[in-house]
Amino acid sequence: MNNMVRRSSKMARRYRLRGQAKTWMLYSVATPILFLMVVPYLYMLAQSLAPWTEVNRVFVPSSFTLRSYKWLLTGGAFAIAQPWLRALGNSALVTTVVTLSRVLTAALVGYALSVLPFRGRRRIHDFIMFQMFYPGIILLVPTFLLIRSLGLYDTYWAMIIPGLVSTWAIFMYTNFFRSVPKELIEAARLDGAGELRIIFQIMVPMARSITMIIFLFLFMERWIDLLWDMIVIRDPMKRTLNVLLATMFGPYGGYPGPLYAAAVLLTFPILLLFIIFSRKFVKGVSLIISS
Amino acid sequence: MKLRRELGGWLLASPYLLSAAIFFLIPLVWSLSLLFFRWNLITPEREFVGLANFGEALTSPRVWNAMLVTYKFMGIIIPSVMVASIGLALIIHHIPRLKELFAVGFFLPYLASGVAIGLVIQGILSYGSPVNEFLRNVFGTSPRWLRDPFWAVLVISGMIVWKLSGYYALIFVAGLQAIPRELYEAAALDGAGAFTQFRRITLPLLYPAFYTVLVLAVGITLGIFTEPYVLTGGGPALATHTWQLEIYYQAFERFRAGYGATVALINAVVTFVTILIIRRLAESWGARRGFK
Repeated sequence: MNNMVRRSSKMARRYRLRGQAKTWMLYSVATPILFLMVVPYLYMLAQSLAPWTEVNRVFVPSSFTLRSYKWLLTGGAFAIAQPWLRALGNSALVTTVVTLSRVLTAALVGYALSVLPFRGRRRIHDFIMFQMFYPGIILLVPTFLLIRSLGLYDTYWAMIIPGLVSTWAIFMYTNFFRSVPKELIEAARLDGAGELRIIFQIMVPMARSITMIIFLFLFMERWIDLLWDMIVIRDPMKRTLNVLLATMFGPYGGYPGPLYAAAVLLTFPILLLFIIFSRKFVKGVSLIISS
Repeated sequence: MKLRRELGGWLLASPYLLSAAIFFLIPLVWSLSLLFFRWNLITPEREFVGLANFGEALTSPRVWNAMLVTYKFMGIIIPSVMVASIGLALIIHHIPRLKELFAVGFFLPYLASGVAIGLVIQGILSYGSPVNEFLRNVFGTSPRWLRDPFWAVLVISGMIVWKLSGYYALIFVAGLQAIPRELYEAAALDGAGAFTQFRRITLPLLYPAFYTVLVLAVGITLGIFTEPYVLTGGGPALATHTWQLEIYYQAFERFRAGYGATVALINAVVTFVTILIIRRLAESWGARRGFK
């Protein structure tokens, strides 16, 4: 009896040890991979703060300086000063307006398509699917021509108007709103709530975590757009930060430090936004995926 | 009441209807008319050339090269991203603590602008970088990286795999969570080892996630633009010159609207057919294993 207890506890210990070894192995694989995933961000940050003699020569600078940032903002003593802060502002303006509009319109349209039993909604839904899978590249040249003939070439509107509505976001909301119990909506209607109130006081709050993910994905996608913003804008003062950085690779070739500083300006706002919202991120994403 | 609901539906859907009419239907029709003209985007007159744009595009070595380059990227990126994201998903799924930290950390690359990461890669691979110093110290020589067709393709593929795998891992995690634990317990009772369990239970049951990731990844690979645009400009010797670069080059650098639109259309057809074939292959593979 006693012997058996001792034996089984020995076995349990051996199992526990094996489990522990497995766990350690898992961590010792996962941690370097995690490092690999964040190392470009760390590299960017370190190089932007490195003394100029060390940029791209070492991984960890011997000391830190804000010289690259100061140079970036003043252009140093050279005539190649660029409106970096303004470009950051342009990115923020365009991205915020487009993303807010996309979320807002998607909530409205998604509600109409999932809750309101009006005729034609099936057809609209089918058309949205068609548009989602239609290759956007065919529309690049004609959309550019359309923007130009509307007189919007080289204006902020050119970056904003074509993107005000997202079929993907509509699709996401339509699917999520379908799962909201009809009784809830009926009850709100009996209480005299209008459709708009139902959308913004019941539906959207219920879809909080999915809204957060939709917002994040749309924001990021717009923030890092390159091709479209590049072809519709010529005025350097209206360029987004992503476009400005892409066009400065050559002219700033001799000044990698300031380029890294600009990359930090471009990248870290998104990272910050994400990390602030990341608490419910994994759950939100699995919601998106299951829909 | 009924009329009001009807009107309300159309009213709420109107933002989409408006935007689809203006920025989808009009360009759609317009793109068809562009195909048959030679036009430099500037002068008011355009010349009708019939099918000459198609003839030129289909015989252009640049177009065939773009097709080849895109498939080359696909051949490297799709298998790598599959293996990487399943691996990351297994880590997230099995790690006992700090699950969220690893999931979020692995996802971070997805947030990166290809331009900013391009800058980092360019720096890390520059001649005097620690990596190249190290290689020269050990091997006596360092690759020319982005100036070498072989390495340029690999580096850009690596950047894209790095960017996507954390995101796709989350799709596989959702798939892993949907697998009932009892299956593993039953298999363990039958004496199946960890590897057999993985091969016989995990992989087949991940099929829906696999399918989703495959379709997403193929779509992304067919649309590569930013990374080669900032890093190689499509070079060296067009080794990283993708469809999107060719369309951009023809339409907006050489101002050939009609020809650019034609290349875009051919690209779209090729994309469509490629996705169709890959989906069919994946579906028949799944059907043989009893999935829909």
